[in-house]
This record gives sequence, structure tokens and C-alpha cells, in this order.
Amino acid sequence: MRVVIAEDSVLLREGLTRLLTDLGHDVVAGVGDAEALIKTVGDLAGQDALPDVVVADVRMPPTHTDEGVRAAVRLRKEYPGIGVLVLSQYVEEQYATELLAGSSRGVGYLLKDRVAEVREFVDAVVRVAQGGTALDPEVVAQLLGRSRKQDVLAGLTPREREVLGLMAEGRTNSAVARQLVVSDGAVEKHVSNIFLKLGLSPSDGDHRRVLAVLTYLNS
Amino acid sequence: MATAYGPDTRDPQRSGGGMENRLAAKRFLPAALRAPVEARTWREFVYLMLSFPISTVLFCFAITMASLSAGLLITFLGIPLLAAGLAACRGLGVLERARARALLKLDVAEPAPVRGRTGGLMSWVGAVLKSGVSWRHLLYTLLHFPWAVFAFCVSLSLWTWGWAALTYPVYAWVFPAYAGIDGVQLYGDSTHNVYLDSPFELALTSAVGLVVVMATAWVIRGLAAVDRLMVSGLLGPSRLATRVTELESDRGVVVDTAAADLRRIERDLHDGAQARLVALAMDLGLAKEKLTDDPEAAAKMVDEAHGEVKVALQELRDLARGIHPAVLTDRGLDAALSAIASRCTVPVTVEVDLASRPAQAIEGIAYFTVSELLQNVSKHARATRASVDVWRSADRLMLQVTDNGRGGADLTAGSGLAGLTERLDAVDGILVVESPAGGPTKVTAELPWRG
Repeated sequence: MRVVIAEDSVLLREGLTRLLTDLGHDVVAGVGDAEALIKTVGDLAGQDALPDVVVADVRMPPTHTDEGVRAAVRLRKEYPGIGVLVLSQYVEEQYATELLAGSSRGVGYLLKDRVAEVREFVDAVVRVAQGGTALDPEVVAQLLGRSRKQDVLAGLTPREREVLGLMAEGRTNSAVARQLVVSDGAVEKHVSNIFLKLGLSPSDGDHRRVLAVLTYLNS
Repeated sequence: MATAYGPDTRDPQRSGGGMENRLAAKRFLPAALRAPVEARTWREFVYLMLSFPISTVLFCFAITMASLSAGLLITFLGIPLLAAGLAACRGLGVLERARARALLKLDVAEPAPVRGRTGGLMSWVGAVLKSGVSWRHLLYTLLHFPWAVFAFCVSLSLWTWGWAALTYPVYAWVFPAYAGIDGVQLYGDSTHNVYLDSPFELALTSAVGLVVVMATAWVIRGLAAVDRLMVSGLLGPSRLATRVTELESDRGVVVDTAAADLRRIERDLHDGAQARLVALAMDLGLAKEKLTDDPEAAAKMVDEAHGEVKVALQELRDLARGIHPAVLTDRGLDAALSAIASRCTVPVTVEVDLASRPAQAIEGIAYFTVSELLQNVSKHARATRASVDVWRSADRLMLQVTDNGRGGADLTAGSGLAGLTERLDAVDGILVVESPAGGPTKVTAELPWRG
């Protein structure tokens, strides 16, 4: 997997590079601001060597506000083929909504703290690179809590709510099963129950499923 | 130039234009002799001359409006008419303030505009009638008229007479040549006449003229001073309103400073300790992964993580001290200032002469002022030694930081010193910087003492 990292803190950039390299991935470039990120990806596209995924910090120079999100949205529009994973010190549901606008294919939004769980973090990067979704549990919790469909959500069993949360994070059925330590079949049953209760038509693609769930929660 | 602060900046006579001309003239003439040729005297003379026609118009207008509306008060029309008249007086006040600004160099702030509560015509009428500013404008038009007439007559006759007498020797030849008399007739009756014709009399006349011209300059200043009082007293915002504006701006600075401080702290945390802790978590996460298959690499990572934790702790400690130093609360200014002095790159002597401790807020501001000034010394002054003195003078807490560096401290907006000036201003404090190019630099801060 070929990765481009955009992070202004040298410490974290090097840490991420080491972490990904350590687990056998190829970090093709590390940059310190959004402009350099767009330029680097543009250059790589020119050489026909687009990265699989871009990992970008939200806050970068010069204004230290939301450069990363804006760059990510732009990259997603210009190069639909690459995955974009945005890392942030805080959870801002607004950023997640902006990132997910249009499609939830190959997009991720995680708290920086998640890098501590090395395996899960790298799994998320891989998932985004392969066109999947990785949403931070906190973002999902905010979406669930803010949703105007509370009465419907209240109709879910606690286990179903758990599955819904993990699904919204972008996990596959088997990943959900691993996390909850249950069989794949049990998860499938929960998922079809959830879709039934929410009144959504069951769809097979994982990322389309996420989009359906998120759209439902946001509407 | 010394730091501009306090009331001096609001006194246009000291900082206004023409300063250079006056400084140049100063070398040749003492103040008393300079007055008649100074631009200021001429400006004020022009002002007094213009006052007469303008004030006449204002007076006639105001009297007409006032009496007309008073007459119509019986009907309903009188009230809005009176309001319109008052509003017009306020409009003319704008003109008068502009004239005073141009000719008297007197900068009077615009009073707050009238605002009706609902925006309707009736509420506007009510607001105009209730506003003290409106009535003071009316009072100005009425009071200023007799004064303007008086000032016009006095200054014009003195001025004309003085210059005519002063220049008398120049045109005295006109009288014998064209008027058939020996000179200006000083006295005359059927028995004898006195003419100013001998060289001595010419000289004496000219000398008297000179004295009158000199005196006129000061009379003009005196008359203009009364005009100044009238304009600033009657056409400006009320004292209360002025103070409110001042406090509003101070409060704005306080809020801005607090917000800026919070942003700085957030940034420091985000870029410093938080980033370090994330990196640390990452290192430990990797180490955990490697623990079983590569214990040696894991040990190395744990070691690195240990180093990171120590740096993060140090950063957090510095940040906490930046927010509020514990030693300041526990031991007071002396200990806290000694601590920052020891972190300065040049040797600093600290002398704190206080019998009791000031209020915590004042202590905090004093601490950060000295801290910022010593940082400047470290960064810019290229000094070899510096000193900090703190003492109390009646109801003020005084701070003085001096260094023997290269001077030329930057006071322009946006610099650290300008920010400091603003902060001190917000608590009614003062910052004075003496920093000639080449040094030494002496910065004195004054804070109100609150025990």
C-alpha cells in the first residue's frame, strides 16, 4: 500500500512513517502543509504513480484551522480513486459531514489518539485505501446522539445499537464479529434486523451500507 | 520618541503638526516674541474672524427655530419642529467641530448619534428631545453668538490697530504727499494740532504698535481658549459618555487579550504536549506489537517513549507556568521575578521593595510584564546585564526594567511592547519606554496599587 502523509508536527509525521513502514507499507512522501500535499499528489499523478491513500492532519500551516479537511475534499474530487484519511486532535462532526458529502467511498476521519492502537489504526488506513470507510467511534456516537430518529433508535436492542455503531464506523461484518466476539452469522442477523427496523433496504457493499446508515442518521 | 500614552496623546497642541516649525523658530526667539508670527496664532485669528458670520447664522437659525416651535407648541406641530431644530443644531455642530479641528487643532469626539427605540418618527423625536447633547448644541449656538461678536471686535481692532501702528513709518510719507497733513493727527482742536511726524514720533508709534501686536497674539490665544472650552464642553459627548467609550474599549482589550491567551494556550497544547503524547502512544503501541517477536526493538521503543514522556512533562510544566506560575501565588513577586530573571540569557539583578503584597490580579500583570520585558532583553537587546526594580509609589505599583543593550525598542503596532501597552492600559496602567538607538533601554510600567 502506497501512502502519502501530511502532518505539520515532525514528531508525528516521523512516527506515522515509522509505524506504517514497520507494518510493511510504503510511505512515498511526507509533507508539512496542505499546499505541499496537493502538489505532491499532483506530481505523483503526473508520474502515473498515485498513492493508494493520503493520511492528513486537519490543522496545518499557515492558518492552523481546517486546511487538512479542505485539501482532503479537493483530493477526493480530483482523484476519486485514492482514499483520504483525516486525522484530528478533536472530533468535529462538521468535518466528517464535509468529508462524507457525496460518497463515503475511501474516506476516513479518526482522532489522532487512535494511532495508539497500532493494528486497528493500520487496519483503518488499509480499509480506506481499499475504498472503505473509517469513522471515529466518537464521530459515530455524536451522529447517533444528534440524530432526530431517536425514537427509532430506541427500538434497537443494546447489541443492535453496538453493531450499528461499528457499522457506521465503516467496519465489515467479519470485523464487527471479531470486535464483539460473536460469529459472522450472528452479526448478519443483527444487521438485517437493524435494516428492517430502520426501514432501509439491505445493500451488500460495505461502504454503501455505511452511507445508507449515515444518511439515515443525518436526515 | 517616548512612548505615547495617557492624556498627552489626546493633547493636540503637543503632538499636532507645526511642531517642527516651532522648534526651528525656538532657537531664535523666546516664546513671547514668537507668538505673533506663529502659524497657530494666525489659525486662531482666522477662526475668530470666521466665528462672527458663522455664529450669527447659527444664532438666527436657532432663535427662529426655537421661537417658532415654542409658538407652535400649542398645536402638535411644535414638538417635531423643535426636534428637527435640535437635530439641525447637532448637524451644525459637526461643522463647528470640523472648524475647531482644522483651525484650533482641537479634536472633539462626535457624540453618540440619536437612536430611537423603535425606529419610528415619534421615537426619534422623543430621543432627540431627551438627549442632553441636543440641548447642549442649542445652548452653544445661543452662547457662542455674543462671545463670537465680542471676540471678533476685540481681536480685529487690536490686530488692525497694532499692525497699522507697527508699520506706520513705512507709509507715513503718504500723509504729506497726498493728504496735505504732516502725519496722523493724534490730537487737534482749534488752537493746536499734534501730528505724528518727527522721526522720534514715528519710532515711538512703531514701538507701541509692536507692543500691541505682541499683546494681540496672546489676546487671540486667550479668546480662542474660551472657544475651545465652549466647543469641547458643549459640542462633545458628555463626560460620562466619554468614560463609557473609554471603558468599552478597555473591556474590548481585556476580552481580546483573554481570548488571545486562550488561543495561545490551546495552540501550545496542540503543538506541544498533545502531539508528544500521541507520538508516545504510537511508540508504545508499536512496542506492544513487537513485544513477543522482537523484544529488543520493543525495549528500544519503550526507551524512546520514556524520553518522550519526560519531554512532554517538561512542556506541560512550562505551559502551566506560562498560565500562572505557582511560585507567584505562594511566595509573591520577589521570588517569581527572581525565577524568571534566572532564566534570562543575561545576568539580571532583581530588587523588589514592597512592604506588602498587591492584589493577585495586579501581581499577575506585573509578573507577565516583567517576563515579557526580560524576554525582549534576551531576544533583541544584545545586553550584557539587566536589572528589574519594583517599588510602590503612593497608590501605584512601579516596575522598571533596564538593560545596557543596543536600544531602539520597537513600539509600532503589533510589536510585543505595543501589546503590553494595550494590556496595561486596560487596567489603567501605563508603559513608558526610553530606548534611544544605541541604548541603554529603560522601560517603566505603572500599575494601580490594589492591596
